Amino acid sequence: MTAEVFLFWFLAIVTVVSALGVLFMPNPIYSAFSLIMTMIGVSALFALLGAYFLAGVQVIVYAGAVLVLFVMVMMLFDLKSEIKAFTKGTLGGVFKIGSVAVLAGLILSAIMVTTQGVAIKFQGQADFGMQPTRLLGNKLFTQYVIIFEILGALLLVVAVGAVALSRSKGGTHARRID
Amino acid sequence: MLAESISEIGLGHFLVLSMILFITGMLGVLLRKNILTVLMSIELMLNAINLSFVAYARSLNQLDGQIIVFFIMTIAAAEAGVGLALVVAVFKRFKEVNIRFFEHLKG
Amino acid sequence: MTNEYFIAIMLLSPLVGFLINGIFGRGRWGGYTSGAIATFFALTSFASAAYLVFGLTELADGPRIISATFFDWITVDELKIPARFVVDPISAIMVLVVTGVGTLIHLFSIGYMHEDRGVTKYFSYLNFFLFNMLVLVTGDSLPIMFVGWEGVGLASYLLIGFWFNDEEKATAGMKAFITNRIGDAAFIIGMFILFFHFGTLEFEKINSLVPVGPTLSWLSPLTLGTLLLFIGATGKSAQIPLYVWLPDAMAGPTPVSALIHAATMVTAGVYMIVRLSFLFAAAPYTLMVIAIIGALTVVLAATIGLAQWDIKKVLAYSTVSQLGYMFLACGVGAFGAALFHLMTHAFFKALMFLGSGSVIHGMHHEQDMRRMGGLKKYLPITYFTFLAGWLAIIGMPPFAGFFSKDEILWQSFSSSNGHWIFWAIGVLGATLTSFYMTRLMALTFWGQERFDKKHHHPHESPYSMLIPLIALAVLSIVGGWLGIPHVISEVLPAHPANVLEHWLEGSLVHPIAATAVDGGHADHAALEWGLMGLSVGLALLSAVTAYVFYIVKPEIPKLLVQKLGQAYELVFNKYYVDEIYQRYILNPLVKASEDLWLYVDVRIIDKLTYVLTDMSIGTGKMSKAMQTGNIQTYALYIVMGVAIILTIFFGV
Repeated sequence: MTAEVFLFWFLAIVTVVSALGVLFMPNPIYSAFSLIMTMIGVSALFALLGAYFLAGVQVIVYAGAVLVLFVMVMMLFDLKSEIKAFTKGTLGGVFKIGSVAVLAGLILSAIMVTTQGVAIKFQGQADFGMQPTRLLGNKLFTQYVIIFEILGALLLVVAVGAVALSRSKGGTHARRID
Repeated sequence: MLAESISEIGLGHFLVLSMILFITGMLGVLLRKNILTVLMSIELMLNAINLSFVAYARSLNQLDGQIIVFFIMTIAAAEAGVGLALVVAVFKRFKEVNIRFFEHLKG
Repeated sequence: MTNEYFIAIMLLSPLVGFLINGIFGRGRWGGYTSGAIATFFALTSFASAAYLVFGLTELADGPRIISATFFDWITVDELKIPARFVVDPISAIMVLVVTGVGTLIHLFSIGYMHEDRGVTKYFSYLNFFLFNMLVLVTGDSLPIMFVGWEGVGLASYLLIGFWFNDEEKATAGMKAFITNRIGDAAFIIGMFILFFHFGTLEFEKINSLVPVGPTLSWLSPLTLGTLLLFIGATGKSAQIPLYVWLPDAMAGPTPVSALIHAATMVTAGVYMIVRLSFLFAAAPYTLMVIAIIGALTVVLAATIGLAQWDIKKVLAYSTVSQLGYMFLACGVGAFGAALFHLMTHAFFKALMFLGSGSVIHGMHHEQDMRRMGGLKKYLPITYFTFLAGWLAIIGMPPFAGFFSKDEILWQSFSSSNGHWIFWAIGVLGATLTSFYMTRLMALTFWGQERFDKKHHHPHESPYSMLIPLIALAVLSIVGGWLGIPHVISEVLPAHPANVLEHWLEGSLVHPIAATAVDGGHADHAALEWGLMGLSVGLALLSAVTAYVFYIVKPEIPKLLVQKLGQAYELVFNKYYVDEIYQRYILNPLVKASEDLWLYVDVRIIDKLTYVLTDMSIGTGKMSKAMQTGNIQTYALYIVMGVAIILTIFFGV
């Protein structure tokens, strides 16, 4: 059992457990912390797969930015632990869980079929010629530059939209509160 | 077979892990009552997909998978921004962040 | 190339006038402005038509034709219809009559209609009519002609029902439209048959395909097709059995009656037959039917005309009767004579309608002749122009009507398709015409003044109305000199040629050919003189009789009415034709439609649609339940959808 293998199993357990934490924690704050844990785990997995740049971005963007945003919003709301974390409706819940189980089975079988029983091994070290990060930057600003720019514009629009939305007086056109 | 699949890590391991995370996120979206948690579950699903992309990039020895992950992260950040703005709007009106308030959007 | 431009100008300028008045004028312009605009565009059209006809005379012999193809209108497999318009000797006459008389009537309308509220609408309709009439006469294939044919029908409907607030008038418009529809349906079917047979609908190509000999079979496509076209013509040109709309059409403004229901549109049927003379000449059975229908119409309409009191109704029945003459001429193969009479009739009948319009205008919309009389003192110019029209229609030489009517009578007697019975009916018709027209003159202009002088102050019309009258009066006098028959020109000092015959030479087919005209010229001349004298003499006699009846001894007609009793009733009520149609055609039709509605529509078709709507409502209710508004439910649908798609992927 190499260090790589050990690391994988360790990180897998950490991410899955913290993901389940997101799912089951009644208090959203705890969910958020569990999510941070998952993000960091995933980031480490990225590093394990040789994607060092993405690992860094993952930590900075998700753990550093997105989740801070979440937590700040929660502070704004002053939420308490919820008595019932899940939506009402037993029958609906059964349906939902059943459908997800079916889907999980299908995805799993798809993975098994395509990887011939998880047997595909990675071929040696990841070899991207130049340093991976440098190559990534190269590709991003040549081959994918248009998408990159479009995403930049999208982020601007989102920033404006988010401001506009949160400045509004709030609520929908509905007058009744039931 | 089992021992081997524990002691040696391949593409399949990462995909299965990705699938588990994805399913967990999906259940969160479907079942949680709090909109914030639902949004977090969506982030979880996106991360799961990112993981499989990176694993494929490693397996196929191509960087394009990583670039897509980069883009997905951008989209995820944008989605979180707009989603949280909506949540704030809902909270302002209803003083609560239950997902069923979105039912009012039905025509 | 320039000719193409001029054809385009001729066709499109009325359309432009129609659009200008129709779009911009509503409620903004008065009668004088819109009238001036409409008249200007009609005049432009007339000027370019005159230029084209002048160009036509310059052309060397051979197929004299000016044509313009603007675009391919319909191209479907074998069927090719170019938007081609021609001015040839036949259409040249029509184009001049339509635009010339049309312009005069536009001018007249300014005076007659300028106070009306809808005057802009009126003038735009009038221009619209002119455009369609020009399409009809210049179109070089049956479909193009049909476009104009329908267009003038529409214009006619709009103008008859112009005062649509009056229900009776609106109904008259509908009656005209629907009666025409019957004929149009036959026209279309005839067109289909001809297309089946010849594979083309262009006149020239049909002409080259027509068999040489006459087709002696009732069921041959040629006979059937031409018969159906003729039924279309009976609709548009008011012949038995579809003439009933024309008298009612007098509900429209009087200039409209003059332009559409006397001078131009109603002659479209005659024009169509003349245009297709090569086709009709090859179908002798059709010609026979046309001649019989024409002859019957002459007498029927003339007898009805004897007993009418409304001045416009008399003129309307007179129009039907005169159209009968034209069809009689077509029927005996004298297409040139038909066209000749069409032209002269356009002049004098338009004149008489406009004259009656002037009278009606002067009498403040009084149309009943029993409340007129002695008007020549008050309306001198109208009277003298009307006099010219009267002399023309009763066939007094040298007025226009004499030459054309005489030619028809002579041809119906002498041509190989003719018969002395046709001639006799024609002379009878001429005698009757002379009687009722003299009666009209007597009741309107001569004799005692029977109107209420306290309320009516008859006055002469303005110059804009008198100028067209004078112009048409001149035309009614000289118009006939274009076709002076040989027997007369030989006697005259200058030997004037028969211009019209020469003009139409080569454009028309003569089924009469060599048999009748040639050989024994002197004998025929004597016979022709004799018959001419006889018909003129009878007309004169009948005119004198009418004068005696209505001026000298007004008690005679009353006595006659009492004596004749039932016969008079029959004629006075127009042979009860409308009532018969109502009872034996319309009422069963209405009953059948009602039954269809009650049993087929309500019980079967509606039921079927209700079932369908119920089904879709049920489906909607079911799927409505799916739209809960709950986002998580929607997410579940996505999950289920993905699961189903994946299952299908794996399954296949």
